[in-house]
Amino acid sequence: MTTDPGALNTYLPTLIRYILVAIGVGVIMIIVYRVQIALGVKREAATGRALVTPWVIGFLVFNVFTIGTSLYLSFTEYNLFRPPEWIGLGNYQELFDVSFGTLESREQRSSDVLARRHSEIIRVEIGDGGFVFGARAASFWRSMRLTLVYAFVSVPLGLAGALGVALLLNQKVKGLGFWRVLYYMPAVLPAVATALLWRWMFSQSGIINTLTQPIWRLTTNEPPRWFTDANLALPAFVIIGLWGVFGANSVILLAGLKGIPQELYEAASIDGAGNWAKFRHVTIPMLSPALFYNLVTSTIAALQIFELAAFIQTPESVGTFVNWLIYQEAFTLRNMGMASAMAWILLLIILALTALIFRSSEFWVFYQGQREKA
Amino acid sequence: MKMRFVVVAVALMLCALGPAMAQDAPIITISTWAGVDEAAEFQEIIDEINANTTEYQIVHQPIPADYYTVVQTQLAAPGSGADMYWMDQNNMALKAEGVFMDLSACLANAEPGSAGDLSDYYPSILAVNEYEGGIYGLPWIAQPVVTYYNRALFEAAGLEEPTADWTWDDFMEYARALTLDTDGDGETDQWGFINNGWPPPYIFVWQAGGELINEDFTEAPIDSPEFLEGFEFYLSTAYNPEVSPSADIIAEQGFAEMFKAGRIAMFMGGAADDLDRVEGLDVGVVPVPAHPETGSQTTFAWNASTVINASSPLAQSNPDLLCDALIAITEGIHNWKIVSPRISQGTVEHLVASEPRKEASAEAIIAAAQDMRALPIFGNYAEFDSVFWSEFWGPLINKETDLTPAELAAEVRPELEETLQ
Amino acid sequence: MTTEATTLRSDPLLQEPPPPQRPFQIRQALIYLLLILCGAIVIVPFLWMISTSLKTPDQLFTGRVDFIPNPAVPRNYIDVWERLSSVAPGMSFARIIGNTLFITILAMFGEIFSASLVAYGFSRFEWRGRNLLFGLMLATVMIPGIVTRVPSFLIWRELGLLNTYDPLTWPSLFAWGPLYVFLMRQFFLSIPRELEEAAIIDGANVAQIYWHIMLPLIRPVLLAIAVLSFQANWNNFQGPILYISTPQMFPLALAMRFFDQSLSRGEAPQWHYMMAMATMMTAPVLLLYFLAQKQFIEGLNIGAVKG
Repeated sequence: MTTDPGALNTYLPTLIRYILVAIGVGVIMIIVYRVQIALGVKREAATGRALVTPWVIGFLVFNVFTIGTSLYLSFTEYNLFRPPEWIGLGNYQELFDVSFGTLESREQRSSDVLARRHSEIIRVEIGDGGFVFGARAASFWRSMRLTLVYAFVSVPLGLAGALGVALLLNQKVKGLGFWRVLYYMPAVLPAVATALLWRWMFSQSGIINTLTQPIWRLTTNEPPRWFTDANLALPAFVIIGLWGVFGANSVILLAGLKGIPQELYEAASIDGAGNWAKFRHVTIPMLSPALFYNLVTSTIAALQIFELAAFIQTPESVGTFVNWLIYQEAFTLRNMGMASAMAWILLLIILALTALIFRSSEFWVFYQGQREKA
Repeated sequence: MKMRFVVVAVALMLCALGPAMAQDAPIITISTWAGVDEAAEFQEIIDEINANTTEYQIVHQPIPADYYTVVQTQLAAPGSGADMYWMDQNNMALKAEGVFMDLSACLANAEPGSAGDLSDYYPSILAVNEYEGGIYGLPWIAQPVVTYYNRALFEAAGLEEPTADWTWDDFMEYARALTLDTDGDGETDQWGFINNGWPPPYIFVWQAGGELINEDFTEAPIDSPEFLEGFEFYLSTAYNPEVSPSADIIAEQGFAEMFKAGRIAMFMGGAADDLDRVEGLDVGVVPVPAHPETGSQTTFAWNASTVINASSPLAQSNPDLLCDALIAITEGIHNWKIVSPRISQGTVEHLVASEPRKEASAEAIIAAAQDMRALPIFGNYAEFDSVFWSEFWGPLINKETDLTPAELAAEVRPELEETLQ
Repeated sequence: MTTEATTLRSDPLLQEPPPPQRPFQIRQALIYLLLILCGAIVIVPFLWMISTSLKTPDQLFTGRVDFIPNPAVPRNYIDVWERLSSVAPGMSFARIIGNTLFITILAMFGEIFSASLVAYGFSRFEWRGRNLLFGLMLATVMIPGIVTRVPSFLIWRELGLLNTYDPLTWPSLFAWGPLYVFLMRQFFLSIPRELEEAAIIDGANVAQIYWHIMLPLIRPVLLAIAVLSFQANWNNFQGPILYISTPQMFPLALAMRFFDQSLSRGEAPQWHYMMAMATMMTAPVLLLYFLAQKQFIEGLNIGAVKG
């Protein structure tokens, strides 16, 4: 009911169901235990399995079932009001309906080169010609473009910056605890609050434009419209992302740096290594597990940006972040089948990128206990 | 001993039942997209209805953010959500999903001349709510598009003001004559008209005799000569430097803002818009120009209805009560919003009583209301509209294609007819 | 040999503590300068947020950078709730914070309790299939919530529990956070067997061992997880936006979006009010962070360095 039922009426039923579910889980755990004992399982094994039962239930319902349903839905057309309608690969066909074209001259319109219902996604002009990439599902591909470019730009930048700051903090500075606490702060803040804050700071009459006035006065004499200008939207998002994350990552890398035994540096010095060589052959390899962890988590996070997109509108030509687009597709446009297909494509991309990073880790990540041949 | 026990027991039961027998009237909830001010005005109407009835009490639950996302989620979860919702004409396409209650049964007994009397509604507006013989919403507003014009600019150019029966030719003449370089710096800074996709092309298409979709929703005759005539005239007014500003200029200075700043001579907007109340501007209102040959002055109407949530508990148990409340609410809104979608209320007096500020334009608005038409809404309209915009309207108005409208129409028509399935 | 020794001694990195030399002092100064610069970048937006929240609307778009509002209007923090209530009666500070706390506390308890039980089961007992399931649990970290969003919504719709707090609270009883289980398992593994064996000899059953021995020993990580869990649930936006539609039931994150969309669109965005709400949302988490920084940072480090 949309009439406000009053605080108690919203809390109490949930609380009661919460307690009932908790008791229910406990009961199931005991049953699992008893059944196993009855089947002759050893006490230790029975206890172990009984204890893990809550997770198993959650796994089956909220992971297995949902992933399975999501996969099924991606092959259907489902608008919530009528039962899902099987359309096979229809959604995927529409999403992958893309085309490439070559431009014969710089002035040629993209729409002349691309297939009928395709919109331009990427246009590269080389010399007196170029290439055009177009797709039928324009909003999806534009969002992929924004999200992937954002990830590829902000993750390495973020890591490099975090490494720099971590090295800085490692230089025997006083009040290390204070700096650490300070730099880690942005990661603690709610994403909702930071999204609004940065939208305010990047607004036309916001603080960023005021501070950078000397710069843009020289060129266009107009305050940059950060989120409505197609060229400025990505840099703005990257800046926001970097601010939010470099602190957390640098603290992790700092812990990693502190864990590098001094003897290694001394040994390197004895071998005649200079600062740069020490950095390359001692610091980086010893830090590689932490770098690896950061790389993986940052990439996964960058591909799933949500709150920023929810609070900051971008023009259609720029696209929005994929996570938010999928939410809109499912709940505003009610194309749950299409949204599920999009979600699966994103999932596969994340898995592929993660697998790639894992594979590459053989070449540059090594854990303590192995010695590198200098 | 036993007797006393029985007496006490009966007394206790009566005490318990007493309050239950004097039950509160059932609460009926209505959700709208109203913001703060609009909600306050609506609340006045509701208060008056509540004061005059003991059958029910109405509670307004506004959803000022993410309206359609929230509403669709509520409609999809049977039993949750309000009893009634406002729906604009595009979202009336949900009528095909079975989530709105069919009102034909309970409106059959409505009092003639009341808000429940379906014969009193403009047929085109009512049609938006019709689906397979049933009626799924009660319209509460039908806003025709009219032309606002800046008197001062007409005077400065020595032109006569447009009259109520002016034609496309008059319109183009004015538009060209009023597109000038007023300060002599070599750049046009005043335009006769402004078109960036709004107003909708359907106005001119319908006037020329064309149709977007045929009556039984099986064909989309956009390649008919009439349709193309109307659409081509429409295109000639958009981004055409002779009569209207370019897309860049509009992006920079704002669409309605340019008219309010006195740089546009004629603007086509909704009848309820505040463009004739801008301080410092002397604005007149006339209906849209008529087709020079057919004489048709059909205009586009934006309209909205109130619907009843088919899955609300009251819709199951007491639909007639909901119907009565719906009629009462709709009656109240018809005396608040302009223009009322009812034929009997299509008078200058009624309009001025609802919105005194529109007195000067009332005549023109009522004239326009007689010719207004709504969109042909059907279940899959959203997809139809999306294809029409992205494949036909958009490329033509933004000059992204080399094809002529006729050629493009021939190509796009099959795609449109696919969505009609 | 001797040349190398000389090289050794003159290498500044290895001398400790270094006698104050001019290059060294400049270097230190440079380091501190950079640190301060970075610190400023971190804290300026945050200070700007607080500063904006205390301003009147005409101070917002002046084109100057004034950090100290003049006059300062702490009343904004009260007025913002009045404005919200004018659109949706009943949206008061107490109610919205109450909603947020309700979700957060219930979810926190669920997460901590169930994660500790599951971690206990994964660590102190031998049973077939244990490693397989544990690996499976770690693998679920890879699954973005995006994929499960629509089916989860459908499950709750079938249960008739949309627009309640249930989807946000009792699933926490099923140890839905692999990270927490992982962290606790690490700690459990480090507890010596003898303690357990002694307890068993004394006749304690599993529940008693768990409650009296295991839990107290992992108190540091319990604290870390409590802090992380509070933060995650307090800040949660993606969950509530899916399930809750009555404005009076919104947690703070949704209330901010509601304010933004209903009262702040158009020509005069109400940045002073929105920044006040942002500050109110940030303050508790920040306070918790300052009080428990060690736990925050340690929790993260364990995952990174040992992971």
